[in-house]
Amino acid sequence: MSSRRSSRSRQSGSSRISDDQISDLVTKLQHLIPELRRRRSDKVSASKVLQETCNYIRNLHREVDDLSDRLSEFLASTDDYSAEAAIIRSLLDY
Amino acid sequence: MASADKPINTDVPEKDVFTLHFLQSLSNLRRQNTFNSPEKTNDRVKKIKKAAYVSMARAAGGTNRLWSRALLRRAAKENSKVVRFPRRKKRVTCLRRRRSNRRDPVEEEEAERLRNLVPGGGGMETSKLMEETAHYIKCLSMQVKVMQCLVDGLAPK
Repeated sequence: MSSRRSSRSRQSGSSRISDDQISDLVTKLQHLIPELRRRRSDKVSASKVLQETCNYIRNLHREVDDLSDRLSEFLASTDDYSAEAAIIRSLLDY
Repeated sequence: MASADKPINTDVPEKDVFTLHFLQSLSNLRRQNTFNSPEKTNDRVKKIKKAAYVSMARAAGGTNRLWSRALLRRAAKENSKVVRFPRRKKRVTCLRRRRSNRRDPVEEEEAERLRNLVPGGGGMETSKLMEETAHYIKCLSMQVKVMQCLVDGLAPK
């Protein structure tokens, strides 16, 4: 219905983002990902950034899985191996 | 109306906000006696994992982010609760409009994979998706740090 270029004016107050801001976001993402942070000086392609982002997110999900597993073990027992453990358990009303 | 080039904010709260929410979730689980039944290990792990994601979403700003809304909505659906979000001032418009009309510097195929990983990604336009992703990643790594601290605290020295 409306021409492609005028689509910008249709959405008032919504997040209409310019191309500049997109590359800004790509750069931001690049800095967030440990893999790519070291290559700050090189320009990494947006495609590569997205790829590494996906990998990073999958890794984080896996870490959450693993940590949930270990937390489950520890919380099921009532052994306090240290003062910190006692404090943590008391915070959870053991 | 010309698009204002405001800086996009992807700040996340401090670590203690995440810690507080997670501990509250764990405390609730404790009250439901989740940690007392040694037989149902898988259930226990699943509940803790869910508590991690839900508390993370709440800590990160609850309904202010598309990903956290999606996450909380999904979690509530699993509990078959009716979820009512307070009206936000800014409406989330054009959820159907995923394919941008402009030439996108970003590969759609990659973006698609990302959409499957970020909660609520399916309805987001590519640029919004990237903003949400940045915030999501920050929150996820914060949550991981919190859980790691707890595990370290509880572990034998």
